[in-house]
Amino acid sequence: MRKMLAVVSRVLTGASQKPAGRVLLAARNFANDASFDIKKCDVHRLEDEPPTTAVLTREEGLKYYKIMQTVRRMELKADQLYKQKIIRGFCHLYDGQEACCVGLEAGINPTDHVITAYRAHGFTYTRGLPVREILAELTGRRGGCAKGKGGSMHMYAKNFYGGNGIVGAQVPLGAGIALACKYNEKDEICLTLYGDGAANQGQIFETYNMAALWKLPCIFICENNRYGMGTSVERAAASTDYYKRGDFIPGIRVDGMDVLCVREATKFAAAYCRSGKGPMLMELQTYRYHGHSMSDPGVSYRTREEIQEVRSKSDPIMLLKDRMVNNNLASIEELKEIDVEVRKEIEDAAQFATADPEPPLEELGNHIYCREPPFEVRGANQWIKYKSVS
Amino acid sequence: MAAAVVASTARWVRVRAGVVEAARLRCQLGGSRFGRLFLLPSAAGDVAQRRHVAHFTFHPDPENRKYGQTQKMNLFQSITSALDNSLAKDPTAVIFGEDVAFGGVFRCTVGLRDKYGKDRVFNTPLCEQGIVGFGIGVAVNGATAIAEIQFADYIFPAFDQIVNEAAKYRYRSGDLFNCGGLTIRAPWGCVGHGALYHSQCPEAFFAHCPGIKIVVPRSPFQAKGLLLSCIEDKNPCIFFEPKILYRAAVEQVPVEPYYIPLSQAEVLQEGSDVTLVAWGTQVHVIREVASMAREKLGVSCEVIDLKTILPWDIDTVCKSVAKTGRLMISHEAPLTGGFASEISSTVQEECFLNLEAPISRVCGYDTPFPHIFETFYIPDKWKCYDALRKMINY
Repeated sequence: MRKMLAVVSRVLTGASQKPAGRVLLAARNFANDASFDIKKCDVHRLEDEPPTTAVLTREEGLKYYKIMQTVRRMELKADQLYKQKIIRGFCHLYDGQEACCVGLEAGINPTDHVITAYRAHGFTYTRGLPVREILAELTGRRGGCAKGKGGSMHMYAKNFYGGNGIVGAQVPLGAGIALACKYNEKDEICLTLYGDGAANQGQIFETYNMAALWKLPCIFICENNRYGMGTSVERAAASTDYYKRGDFIPGIRVDGMDVLCVREATKFAAAYCRSGKGPMLMELQTYRYHGHSMSDPGVSYRTREEIQEVRSKSDPIMLLKDRMVNNNLASIEELKEIDVEVRKEIEDAAQFATADPEPPLEELGNHIYCREPPFEVRGANQWIKYKSVS
Repeated sequence: MAAAVVASTARWVRVRAGVVEAARLRCQLGGSRFGRLFLLPSAAGDVAQRRHVAHFTFHPDPENRKYGQTQKMNLFQSITSALDNSLAKDPTAVIFGEDVAFGGVFRCTVGLRDKYGKDRVFNTPLCEQGIVGFGIGVAVNGATAIAEIQFADYIFPAFDQIVNEAAKYRYRSGDLFNCGGLTIRAPWGCVGHGALYHSQCPEAFFAHCPGIKIVVPRSPFQAKGLLLSCIEDKNPCIFFEPKILYRAAVEQVPVEPYYIPLSQAEVLQEGSDVTLVAWGTQVHVIREVASMAREKLGVSCEVIDLKTILPWDIDTVCKSVAKTGRLMISHEAPLTGGFASEISSTVQEECFLNLEAPISRVCGYDTPFPHIFETFYIPDKWKCYDALRKMINY
């Protein structure tokens, strides 16, 4: 028995030492980069088009893979925590659309600005916030990025303006941010995202007009995941060519499930905006696996076969993985190791999010106004007041 | 959305030790001194249980046989019944809004499309301003338009259409045109987990606008009668439905149409010492406060459900205050500028010499509706009871 244990332990220690050596050995055999053909983008009112080939280096590939996998795992963890009733309220999950947030981030600089609607967890992560702060915000704890006061729909980070609950309300804000970019002359642009449902809101069209009139460096991005809550795009929109809806604003339609396609299109659009030619519209054709929110099973308005089909044919993480493995940019084992790392990070973050205490009750009255001397928030009756500190 | 309401209300039907725990914490809040109250980590163990308790208990009214055969219905079923009656009676009636075709996110329009056809019950794209503007047009042309705004929190893009177009149409055209056939329905009020944008009560914003009517029912029986009255009424009406009651409130409701008059407040319970006024979900809270006051303080409360916010029944409230001398008004919306301020102001004008104590308003805090702090934000029975006690001992 003891001999067997000794053998087992030797084998196990041996096994843990092996992979490092194997990776070192294997790294020398990997290609440094590879060139891929990507889907041609439909354009509206443009002479040029984004390129149809993209170069992916090994380093970039591993980075995109890790980020997409983190977003995927984070959303699945949020789903789990919601079902355990640790997260409450409304929770809109982003799994299936990872290529959009990763591709967009890859095409812009960290000094550029992003604003999106309520399906914001992916962007919060790609814009730089750690997973633990995101999950803690979902569970409403003081370690959360908005101190637990915002919840799922209101997450903010540097150069990331949320996280907005009211549909379409963030689009005029995005144009305003773009105006500030133009005014400050720092060569920054603003990515203003909205969904296929929001594309029918009036304020979007008002914004298109203002952005085009004043040539604002704003990329309007419609994340078309085919369903506005439970309504399919055919039943909601007179024209489902969302990239043409800007009319006088040039538009591109992009395959939102391919991270390279999104990246190249974003670089193209960013260059266009930075050159002062005005706004551009991008439609990302993507898909969400979960329902609209956690209270939507997601199968009453679409078939399970459809979801399965997208999962098996166009899953963004799978596409990237296949590309990298088939072109000798990474090995399956390496990617599996990344998976394990990611899982651990998410577990730790979930642990933190569950154990962190809730914000103190004083926070109820705080941050209503800006930097007023502490005043009393009138409350339930004339004898209950809360102090507000800003 | 609806499924979440189901799940949460199912949990809320249990009244457990969590209430006592929460009450103890909340009693510490009373007093003008700024209390250092922290949510102790040790309490995190029963946080889950504490949150599952509703701040009210629904009191169904006794069965009303005046209108024929009744059926057990909850709030959303009584709304469906009212809409069914309307569409049957009025061939020009149409229902539209986001997702109403399949039944609506709160099941208020289930079965209506199959019964009346897709030209009478149809979905609109995601555009509140468009929905209300379109509804005004439908009504001006003589048809009956029943528009649904998915949550009252989303009604603000349509605010301009309601205030500047709908409310003023008759006045500005010298009665040549009107959009009286328009009724706007919206789910309203706190729901336990709604946070900033699924819990608001915007009746005060609209109360400031002459030309429209605003109605908030407290129960299924009231909802059907009031909704039918709103649809019949020749003025644009906004009908707010307390979403927390959609499943929690069950009553016997007549199957045939019946009408409850608008602008008439109802005295639910006669009393001689204090008048309590509320509307919607809060009526059930103050009913409980009234029974607590009777048991613990020997105080007899007169409970009034205002029902119609605009135009409100000034006579009933003032007559009551003239009798009792004390008034407490309670609503979930923030204190400053809330509708209680209008009631308070009018009552002190009419009944100044009758008042024994300052009019008390027990409302939400002047903050956006919080996500994590909801249990501390809403004016529950303990806060109302505390205010009542202070009024009695004034």
